[in-house]
Order: sequence, then structure tokens, then C-alpha cells
Amino acid sequence: MVDQLPNLGREDEMLKAMGLQNMEDLFSDIPSDVRFKGPLPLRPPQSEEEILSDARRLLGANISMGSRTSFLGAGLYRNYIPASVFQLVTRGEFLTAYTPYQPEVSQGMLQAMWEFQSLISELVGLPIANLSLYDGSTAAAEALTCAVRVHNRKASQPNTVYVSSLTSPDKMSVMENYCQGAEITIKTLEHNDDGTLNLDSVKDAAGSCGVYLEQPNPLGVLDEGLTKTKEIVGEHTALIVGVQPVSLGMVEAPGHYGADIVVGEGQPLGSPVTAGGPLYGIFACSKPYLRLMPGRIVGRSVDVDGKEAYCLTLSTREQHIRRHRATSNICTNETLIALMGAMHMALLGPDGLHDLAYRNAAACQKAKEVLVETPGVKIVHDAPHFNEFAIEIEGSAEACLAYLDDNGIIGGFDLGRWYPSITNQILITTTDQTTQQDIEALSAQLSMWASHQGVSA
Amino acid sequence: MSHLFNHNGAPNTGYSQPPSIETATKPSIPAGLVRRQRARWPRLSEPEMVRHYTWLSKRNFGIDTGFYPLGSCTMKHNPRVNEVIAQLPGIADIHPHQPEHHLQGLLSIYYEMQHMLEVCAGMDQVTLQPVAGAQGEFTAVRCIQEYFRLKGDTKRTKVIVPDSAHGTNPASAAMAGFEIVEIPSRVDGRIDLDALRAVADETTAAMMITNPNTLGLFEADISEASKIVHDAGGQMYYDGANFNAILGITSPGLMGFDAVHFNLHKTFSQPHGGGGPGSGPIGVKAHLAEFLPGPLADRRAPTAGEQSTAVDEFWYHWREPTHSIGKVQQWHGNAGAVIRCWAYYRRYGSGLTTMSEHAVLNANYLRYAIHKAARDEGVDHLFVDGAETDVAKHEFTLSMQPAKEQFGISAMDVAKGLLDRGYMAPTVYFPLVVPECMMIEPTETESKDTLDTFAQHFAEVLKVDAETLHAAPTTTPVRRVDEVYAARNLCLRHPFDD
Repeated sequence: MVDQLPNLGREDEMLKAMGLQNMEDLFSDIPSDVRFKGPLPLRPPQSEEEILSDARRLLGANISMGSRTSFLGAGLYRNYIPASVFQLVTRGEFLTAYTPYQPEVSQGMLQAMWEFQSLISELVGLPIANLSLYDGSTAAAEALTCAVRVHNRKASQPNTVYVSSLTSPDKMSVMENYCQGAEITIKTLEHNDDGTLNLDSVKDAAGSCGVYLEQPNPLGVLDEGLTKTKEIVGEHTALIVGVQPVSLGMVEAPGHYGADIVVGEGQPLGSPVTAGGPLYGIFACSKPYLRLMPGRIVGRSVDVDGKEAYCLTLSTREQHIRRHRATSNICTNETLIALMGAMHMALLGPDGLHDLAYRNAAACQKAKEVLVETPGVKIVHDAPHFNEFAIEIEGSAEACLAYLDDNGIIGGFDLGRWYPSITNQILITTTDQTTQQDIEALSAQLSMWASHQGVSA
Repeated sequence: MSHLFNHNGAPNTGYSQPPSIETATKPSIPAGLVRRQRARWPRLSEPEMVRHYTWLSKRNFGIDTGFYPLGSCTMKHNPRVNEVIAQLPGIADIHPHQPEHHLQGLLSIYYEMQHMLEVCAGMDQVTLQPVAGAQGEFTAVRCIQEYFRLKGDTKRTKVIVPDSAHGTNPASAAMAGFEIVEIPSRVDGRIDLDALRAVADETTAAMMITNPNTLGLFEADISEASKIVHDAGGQMYYDGANFNAILGITSPGLMGFDAVHFNLHKTFSQPHGGGGPGSGPIGVKAHLAEFLPGPLADRRAPTAGEQSTAVDEFWYHWREPTHSIGKVQQWHGNAGAVIRCWAYYRRYGSGLTTMSEHAVLNANYLRYAIHKAARDEGVDHLFVDGAETDVAKHEFTLSMQPAKEQFGISAMDVAKGLLDRGYMAPTVYFPLVVPECMMIEPTETESKDTLDTFAQHFAEVLKVDAETLHAAPTTTPVRRVDEVYAARNLCLRHPFDD
């Protein structure tokens, strides 16, 4: 504490200059009946060294994914972040700046965010991207409310949106919280047994305000059917596609198959998993959505000398101007994490992104090739996958994951936590960090598990 | 200028990666989903990338660059050990869906943070899930909404907000579906109890208010305001944006509030990163606790089998509140921010009171020093206090209205003049109730010398003639940016070929 307060020991000097007697005089305006009595009942202050030591002990007691063999993903993906990203993002000029309200001294972050918008726009195939929302779930939720704002007047199903029934309940819960205030009804779209979207059910969504689908879907399935959905729902229903951004190194940009809004969890580009936050939500859209979209956006402009300059623009959508009529309540966003994303994208370039996507796809392919041969393991969907796929095992998924855990493997995600009627399926996630040895170790342990369950090899 | 998109290295260059895993058959993408054209991203080598972002950083102003008296934003120093801690694999490489026995350290820190914030706020239960102050506001009003719905009290459709409130207050309440009732402030910016009495009724769900208010004044009538709202059957919501003034001195609980949000990125120094990330935990009284988003960190005595894995005498676990509104972020909030703020809290512990005392000391001293320097330089007739008061809290407002009327010098002109002298400008034109407002918050981490020098420079800016100030800034990377041009000639991305 003493190393954080420059004026410790100078209080009297300062008070005297002001004509005050003591610190208490500074708080004379606070009625005594609302004053704290006595000191805060909290622990004593620590030094930097003591804090670091406690942090190492406590955080060291956590089991990091890198210290095990891990197949846990389900929306977050372990990746490698180039060293230069960390080095640059912790520069104090970026790290300790506020929202760029004074553009003349914030050109660095403003330009970096304008470049981020450009990178995301190209990645997803849409002309407009904002400079981040909180995470993939809030980006999806804000996309739904944005779609209603844009389409409600002409909708034959006003205040109604459709969401894939595979959507994770946690994300769905965020959507429900964001939608209920505007009295938006969320209906679900069904899927076929092979994991693909039931395109017949999409017909029900025509005339609604928006449709939310993911590519790859929550079970890792790459679904070609999504390319036909815009035609089915029509011009006056927003097609919103949630993406894993790395996949777009190989997979077509949704903006090129009719998506009006693309959202996603930006984390795999630039950010560690960090126990689920801070992350950054991608939000991109086509022109009709621009003036009703959420979040901050940077425009390129000029200064009084005609010199290229950047500033926040279209602020009249935002809470600090529009107050209760704002398109969103968002103020603080995830700029610094988006900056990490921009740096990672800048390093990768178009070919690097393709290679990164290929490494992810190859790891997934390899895992499928090995697990399809593993006794007692069935791959649930005979479909192309990216990053992850569901397997069915003997016995309960929960018990199997506990068994794998006992043997040093973080085995994946128990799909029963999303879909309560399923008890024996695990979502296996691979990334560019997955090795052949990891996959073989998983296969060996799943094989052992199967034999414990009475399956013979 | 350095432009990212001007870097066009040869194809198949870029960041080197290890070879992919060998597969028996090539990974397949359905034919209709194969990407036809690669993203038109630039191609940079590492040296070019490092130089580009270093160049950009030099065109940006942070707390590390200089004094940052941006009112309402609490731009205090960010201790660097917090960054070291946040990169440890025990937080950076953790998946939120890992089982509890993998996360005992993280859960214990969550528990400790919940407890600390409960103590500081005088609340019964805290959740760390909301990732920003505005999201905290939204989460809390959602909890209040569900609380009334469960009671069958469906008439409470309105939220009262003073006209001096942060814009997020009405925006968050409206997002949850409430009708906003704005009440005027008194001329000194304080709450008008008669105006409140006139609107508080059986349709009131809540009142949202910050204290100290946005003029940096403590609302001495706050207990009476709480009573008026409670008597009408409504809930009191505390906007914690200005918490830095009151830690250990008073608390929302003592003032009669039912719910509160924290801006950890302000009060507990998560670096603001040019706009985020933040963290916006909320605390509530017991009657609202079971409506919070889940999961919450909780603890119990460990079983025999758990003892070897436990980090202390407790076993930490997640708990789902019984009437939870559900989630507002997909995972467990901004865990990385929570860890940094935990490290920050540990630096102060019970000394958080001293932190707030120094925040208030510095604000009052700077207010005094600016007035004194202005008198010495003969420019004290160019501004007045935004509100009459003996003492301010962590921030204060000045009105440049006299300068505007006498010489056409606006608050924005003064702000730009300060940029030329190497400072971040104070917040301007907020709160709206103060004409030509400058809102100044020095924080506790600035030395007396910095405050004295800034006060002197502030007075010197006011001696500059209007024409020169209209042309300011002249020493910054660019001069005044044309925001109207930006809005009329929208250029929101690199033009590529289009």
C-alpha cells in the first residue's frame, strides 16, 4: 500500500494549505449514521512479493490445461499466442489508456481498432465490424435484439427470433436475458440425426426477425445447409451466423453465403482461454444494420489540416448520448483483447490463418481417425467436423471423464450438461495444440475404459 | 504514417507454424463451404509487425504516459505485478468447465473477492459474473425484476433515474424492459427529494443513483431517498462508478441500498486497455441473493478425500442460486480481471480506507490548487465551481461558462489546450446539468507535485487567447479531428478495392 500512494506522509501539508485540520474534515458532508464504525474487517496489506507468492501458491493449485492432456473446448479453444502479442499489448500506452474520447492523443488505439474492424470485416465477409462486444454469447444476444430493431416493422412474426436448438444453454440463457426486456420470443430450430440443421424447420422462421445458427455448430459439425438458409428465410429476416474465427481460414465466410450479421467468440485469435474471460465478442454486419447496431465503431477522418486521423463515430446510437433509447447499454468493451486479436491476425496473414485452420482441422481429423478405431467409442455424427465432435461411450459420460481425469487426461465436455437427456456422449475438442501423442493417449484410456465396461477389443 | 494494410509480403510468408499432424485422409470441408478467396489481410514479418504496433503505441496516451484526470473514470496507476499474475498458467490456461478439484485456487480467490466486496458494499452476496459496469447494472435490475415477478407484483414497471446519472443507468434499465422516469436534480446537482416523492409509487421497481453523485458531491439526503423509495415498495440500486470515494468510509448497505455494482476496472485498477476489458460484479441484500446469475463461489468443510487437494481449511465449490435469472456472460465473468483486482486488493487489505481518503484528499487539493493558481494568474473569473460545496469527494466539476460567455472559450478548447501541455483532458460536457462542464478526478496515485504543476498549467491555458485555443492542440500526433466528417463520410474499414 505504501508504494502506491505518493502523498502518504504529506497529508497535513496538503490539508493545511486547504485550511483543513484533518482528514476527517474531508468527510464532514457524510452523515454519521451512514459512516463505517471502525476499520474495515479485512486482512492487513501485503507487499508485492507476498502477493506474488500467494498468487503462485493459489493459482499453482489449479490444474492448467497445458499441464495435462486436454480435450476440453466447447466454445473456448486452446491456442498458441505469439510472444510478440504479449510483449506489445502490455505497453503502458495501450494497457493504461481509457476509451479514446480525446482522439488527438488516442490515434494509436483508434487506428489499431479501425484495422481490427478491417481484419474482421474481411475475415467474415461483411462490410462493417464494431470494435468488440464482451464475448461470443453477448455478441449473439445483441445480434438478436439488433435484428428485431431492424426487421420488426415488416416482420410477419414480429418480436420473434429463431435459434438453433443445439445452442449451449449458457449462451441461450444470455440470449434470453438480453431478449426478454424487448419482449422477444425465442423459438428453436431442429436438427437432423446427422447433426445438420433441419432445413424444413427453417421455413418456420421465414417472416421472423432473425435466425441464429453456428458454423461449425456446437457439436463441431460443418453444415453446408447453412448456405441455403438465407434463401429460405428471405430478405426481411436476418441470418445471424456464429463462427469460430480460426475456421474461416478454410471455411467460407458467412457473409459470402448470405449472412447479414456474423458474431463469434474471438478468443481463438489472440487470447488465452483465461477461465472464460476476458475474451472478445466479434460483431460484424451488412449496411442495413449499421445504424441500429450495438457497440463502438471507429471511422477514418481528417484533422483540421486535412491529415488522416481516426475517431469514434456513429456515437448517437450509444448510451452516453441516446440514454434509454440507445441500441445497447455497452460502454466498456474488450478493446485490449481485440487488440491482441488484431496483432495475432496481423502476424498470421491470410496464409498463416489458412495454415492455422488446417492444423486445427488436421488434429480433429486425426482424432476421428484414431477414435473410430477405438473399441467402445462411436463417433456420433458421420459429418465433416472442425475442432470438435461428439463421441458415444459405454457407461456414463460423467464417470468416463472422472476415469480419464484420474489418468491425467481432461477428457472433453459431458454433453449431458447441455442436453440433459444424453448421458453417454462426450464432446472431444482438438486444436492446433493437440498432438498425435495426446490423441493416442486418449484412445488408449478410452479403450481401457471400454474394457472396464465389459467391451472386448 | 504506418499502415497495417500497406504491408504486402510475398504469398506464403507470415508467422511460422509447426507442421500439422499427419492424417490418413485430408481433413475435408464440404464442397459448398470451402473458402474461395482468402481474407485480404496484409502480410507482415515479425519485425514489421512489432514496429507497427510500437509506432501506434507511441501515438496513444495512457496513465503511464502522464496525468489522466478523466472524471468518472478513476484512472489510477495499475500495479504491474498484477499483469505478471494474470499471465500465470493457473489462470491463463484454465478452462471454466474444468471440475472443481482442478480449480480450488481460482475458486478460493473468487470466494475471497466476493467476501471482500460484500464487506466493502455492506451487501450479503456478490456475484463476479458481469463483465462491465453497465452489465452489472443490467444484471441487478434483472434480479429486481424477477424478485417482483416472483412476488406477483407485476405493476412495478418503472425505474427512476436522476437526470445527472450516467447514460448506462437508463440504457441498462430500458434493456431489461423498464420504463424510465427521469427526475431533475437540484441546481447544485443533488437529488431533489420532492421530485422523487412525486414519482415514487406502486409502479416503481427501483431507483438507480450514484453517491457521490456525478458532480462529486455526497448526497447527504441519501437515507431519506432510500426511505421514500422503500416506502413506495421499490428497490434502491447503487451505481458503483464512484466507489473510489467511499471504501471503508461509508457503504451502500449503510445508505439503505438493496443492490450495487462495482467497476473493478476503476476502483480496483484492472487496466482499462483503451476501452476494456472491465469487470462489473454486483452485490445484493439477502432478499435478492437467490436471483443472481450463477454460479457463485461457495465453500464448506472438505471431505477426507478432498483434504489433500484443498488450498486451505475449506473446500470451494460453485453454487447455483435457486431463482437465478440465468447468465449474462457465457462463463464465469472476466476471471482474468478478477485475479488482477484480487492482487490489487491484497496490496491494500484493510487499508482500502486510506486509499479512498487519499483519493478524496487529492481531489480536494487539486480543486484548491486550481482555484489558487487561477487567482494568482488572474484568470479566476473564467470559471466557477460546477456546484457550491465546502468539500468534494473523489472528483469535482468546473463550469467554463464564464470563459465561454466572455471570450468564446469552451470547455473543449480548454481540454485541447491541456493536451498540448502533456495531459489527458478531464471529462468534458458531463454531467449535462453543469454548463460547459469539466469533470476532474485525479485519483489517489498522483503526487502533490503533479497536482500543483497541473493546476499551474490549467491556469496558464486560461491565459491563452481564444483564437490560439480554438486551434489547439498543435503538438499532438494529429490536430483537432473532424468528427462530423467521419460521420458524413463513413470509412469504417480499409477500402481494399471497393
